[in-house]
Amino acid sequence: MPRRTSILKTAAIYIGILIFVAFFFFPILWMIVTSIKLPRDMFSLGVLPFIQFEPTLKHWHSELVTVGAENRHALINSTIIGLSSATISTVLGILAGYALARYEFKKWKNIDIITWFLSLRFLPAISVAIPFYILVKTAGLLDTHIAVIILHSAFFLPYSVLVLRDAFKSLPREIEEAAMVDGASPSTILWRIAVPLIAPAIVAVFILLFSFSWNEFLFAFLLTSKVAVTMPVHIAGSVTTIGVLFYTLSVRQLLAIIPPVILALFIQRYIVSGLTLGAIKG
Amino acid sequence: MGGRVVKPKFTVYHLFLAIPVLYALSLVIFPLVYSAAISFTNWKLGIPTYEFVGLRNYIDEFHDYRFWNSLRVTFLITAGAVPVEIILGLIIAVLMSHQIKLRGFFRSILLIPLFTSPVAIALMGEVVMYEAGGPINGYLKLLGLQPISWRSSATMAPWTVVIWDVWEWTPFCFLIFLAGIQAIPRVYYEAAEIDGASGFQIFKSITLPMLKYPLITVTMFRLVDTLKIFEIPFVLMAGGGPGIATEVQSVYIYKAGFRGFQFGAASAYSMVFLIIVMVIMMIFIRRVRSYYA
Repeated sequence: MPRRTSILKTAAIYIGILIFVAFFFFPILWMIVTSIKLPRDMFSLGVLPFIQFEPTLKHWHSELVTVGAENRHALINSTIIGLSSATISTVLGILAGYALARYEFKKWKNIDIITWFLSLRFLPAISVAIPFYILVKTAGLLDTHIAVIILHSAFFLPYSVLVLRDAFKSLPREIEEAAMVDGASPSTILWRIAVPLIAPAIVAVFILLFSFSWNEFLFAFLLTSKVAVTMPVHIAGSVTTIGVLFYTLSVRQLLAIIPPVILALFIQRYIVSGLTLGAIKG
Repeated sequence: MGGRVVKPKFTVYHLFLAIPVLYALSLVIFPLVYSAAISFTNWKLGIPTYEFVGLRNYIDEFHDYRFWNSLRVTFLITAGAVPVEIILGLIIAVLMSHQIKLRGFFRSILLIPLFTSPVAIALMGEVVMYEAGGPINGYLKLLGLQPISWRSSATMAPWTVVIWDVWEWTPFCFLIFLAGIQAIPRVYYEAAEIDGASGFQIFKSITLPMLKYPLITVTMFRLVDTLKIFEIPFVLMAGGGPGIATEVQSVYIYKAGFRGFQFGAASAYSMVFLIIVMVIMMIFIRRVRSYYA
């Protein structure tokens, strides 16, 4: 009796999981399939290459090489903006995270400062969009990388502060205390001892911030028009220019999706704590 | 560190903290204050001067049917999406908490939506829900069912937004619940099995109560973030359409600010929205705060 129910139960579990995985993977699969279909097969319902339709790589070739200048431009912009804003936020997060992990502030208690950073995470982007647009316009920085970099680095700062504080807090104090006895200054201890010890968490935070910046739309859309357009802004505009050429659209979408998804696979262990800013340990 | 000795008032730790705090203050809080100030003016782009109009913008908003429509749509989408995401996330987490083959692979697949740009999700919707010849309506037709007006029907449109929000965020709920379940000590389950408890009893009396903190956290994140939803109504529904059927708060404010260029009025709208979001956040943040202590 127990053995039979357990076989049935196992089957039910697998079926359940496969249904959900199919639901979440179907749109991705459809993009991949559409991106290798010939125009004449665009509306065919087949998903099996060679069997149901004749696959082709010509859309990939043209979108990346022959007429791919705009795609390449947007990919480069997203990379520059993502790397720069993630660097700024990570460095600032190391400073604040370390201070909050190792020092007890008196006037405003650590927990108040932490709550303040946490509440910034929930701020609606649209409520700072108008003042920021006006400020960037007044400063003459519309359509520059620097405007988007500054905004992304500030907006995603709560993640790096709280997650890195958590990482620093998990370090045993003894090593740092020993260094302090030897006369090392707090900055030396931070950069020479503590930072190397939490290097994996720092890399994870950096990747997380890079993905957030890569995927962010509202600010990038408002602040850029040509020179500094990022991938989401570029593909959002594709619909109006290329209409229902879904194979072209699919290639561009996959170009926008692949980099952050691949990077995320490397930081699986940190995703839960990263996305909840350390509230839940993964 | 920070022993009992008398310390100077300003330490290097103060400096470490001050730099990021000032960065966030000047770039996030200052714009908010600026926006609050503009909200009492009739500033419109292209008009040379503007003046103080007191509460005019706020009063106008409360008399604008589009504000109330937008509020209704925002809460409808939130109320539709968040419970579904939490329940599906729980189910998947319970399924995946069993010792199964390919668990890592399945988990990786479920990560994709979380790291996919919301604009790409909106465009995915455009392709798979294309009404004349897209795959979903195509398969429905093969099954002898009626095609669905995913984007062109004003009654269907908010639910289409809900579907894509569920697609995007259920994996987030799943991951957190899975982490929560894996943190529950195995002995609880072993004891329950020895006592002959059924699967549902185990879920109700062990899993669910032990998931209290993950549940509160997930609810806070999903509630606030769904209220702020922008890309799917804006891109997939072409600016909150059809008509104003999916004109959520973010889209409504965006249009006032960047299509009408009424910076004064749009700032007032965004202040009202900010207050709504902050009130909901406050309810949760007091509970969540303790996890960080």
